[in-house]
Amino acid sequence: MAESSTAAPAADTTRPARGRRPRLPAWWPWGGGALLVLGCLGLQSQLYSGQERTVTTVFMFVALAAAWNLIGGYTGYACFGQVGFFGLGAYTTVILMVHARLSFWIALPAAAVVAAVFAAVIGLPLLRLKGHYFAVATLGVAEGLRELVTNVPRWTGGGSGATIPSTGDRAVTPWLGNDGFYLLFLGLAVVCAVVVALVSRGRTGYALRAVNQDEDAAAAMGVNTTVAKTVAFAVSAALTGAAGAAYAFQQVTIYPQRLFDVDITVLMIVMVVLGGAGTVLGPILGAAGIAIASEYLRQHLPEAHDLTLGALIIIAVILLPQGVVNFARDAVRTRDFSLLSNVRRYRL
Amino acid sequence: MSGDTPVLRVSGLQRRFGGLLAVSGVDLALPAGRVLGVIGPNGAGKSTLVNLISGHLKPTAGSVLIGDTDLTGARPWRIAHAGVARTFQIVKPFRGLTVADNVTVAVMFGPARIRSRARARQEAERVLERVGLGGKGGLPPAELTVADARRLELAKALALRPRVLLLDEVLAGLRPAEIDPALRLIDELRGEGLTLLVIEHIVQAIAAVSDEILVLHHGAVLTQGPPDEVLGDERVIEAYLGHRYTRRNPS
Repeated sequence: MAESSTAAPAADTTRPARGRRPRLPAWWPWGGGALLVLGCLGLQSQLYSGQERTVTTVFMFVALAAAWNLIGGYTGYACFGQVGFFGLGAYTTVILMVHARLSFWIALPAAAVVAAVFAAVIGLPLLRLKGHYFAVATLGVAEGLRELVTNVPRWTGGGSGATIPSTGDRAVTPWLGNDGFYLLFLGLAVVCAVVVALVSRGRTGYALRAVNQDEDAAAAMGVNTTVAKTVAFAVSAALTGAAGAAYAFQQVTIYPQRLFDVDITVLMIVMVVLGGAGTVLGPILGAAGIAIASEYLRQHLPEAHDLTLGALIIIAVILLPQGVVNFARDAVRTRDFSLLSNVRRYRL
Repeated sequence: MSGDTPVLRVSGLQRRFGGLLAVSGVDLALPAGRVLGVIGPNGAGKSTLVNLISGHLKPTAGSVLIGDTDLTGARPWRIAHAGVARTFQIVKPFRGLTVADNVTVAVMFGPARIRSRARARQEAERVLERVGLGGKGGLPPAELTVADARRLELAKALALRPRVLLLDEVLAGLRPAEIDPALRLIDELRGEGLTLLVIEHIVQAIAAVSDEILVLHHGAVLTQGPPDEVLGDERVIEAYLGHRYTRRNPS
């Protein structure tokens, strides 16, 4: 089945051949990531406490966006109920620390496991749905969890909230302080990014991308699509649940309205979409970019914060519908850096 | 068919969509190294037959055996692991992956289950070379021509190292000059002992490569036999080929 007929054009010696551009060494993402983490490790001592809390929140959203990216970005299942796993992780921590008197360091992995098992169980029926059906179903699951938590006040404090004892004799684990939570959320962000990077480079990454593009074709290639989707959903939920656990301990007192707030899911999705879904770096850039823009607007345009941030997100999505990282990758490959032709390419 | 043990055996295969019987009582027995051409008018049930064999549809009745293993109604990945590969009538490349990565998926998840990414890539490059896509591994599928997209579809299937290959209109959209190399490849695969079921509308092409032709009409087998015999059958001319075809191709 050789290529038919037409003579190959003469080689153009003035430009490097397509696909022959100088390549960066294979270790550069890991090396670059390690340098970034090392830089962040010393940063907290240079920040005011308000700034430190903001950066801590950025780390939390990096972790959440990276976790959502596994199911929404790589696998193509837009989970609109991701905040359910966040809340589940948080309330698992409350129950284990308050009622079972377990250390936070036991509650944290336990929260991840509970969220993963829950995701695997609901994933079996829900992952048979596609597109907006899956999105709406997961939204329903998160709302259901919120109702459940509100209606078992004996364990969760109900609508009045639950408090984790964090000082004095009743504290099973002393509160970590601003520096402690900074490091904890930095650690979670690193773990999430590394998990996504390992998945992306490995066999599972190929399976998830294939499922994302065409499930029938993936199955025909021997990919067990049920296992691939369920694993992605469970790992994504585990990472989100761990972030929820850390957030509950950081906040000390938590309420279902805040912990199951759909805005948290929306933020995760926007961060992933703007940064570049299905990439390792995209959610990190998306989370950092939106958090920094939001903080800047809060300080300089407090009255119009939401309106301006919303407008910026709309403009960014129109200009870069595939996200910053995917745009950069396409632009380098095609040597076309025009945003206008990018808009045309995506027929907006 | 010869008396060899069939690699693919289909008995009484049936698929109903509500009130429509899309495939009805189809029987096949294909030994190794045989090519069965499947022809029939649009809507005759050809692609449904492939979907039933590959597990993309569950049969309402009947059975599908690969070797001695009954895989009736099994999920597509189990059937792929049993050695059945297929192409799709409408090509289904993984658009977010490069051409080489598309084939790498099949190498990694096929029966060989090559886990090393480097080894899988090497094998993928070998398959791409074979189908005429050598040097195009780094391209995204969107930049391939129609013919190359068909080659990619075939490369993905071959990367599974199948025993049975189901080709659903793999020549569609190809120019005459591109059809001959494709037919030569099918012939080569047959020579290597692969069992092929080929759906095609280009009658001369399918007659040239098939040991037997099966004609489907309204989901049922109208006739099956050697190409010359089938193409001269009055019922096949009436239902599918038309009298103009026989006037143009009197032999």
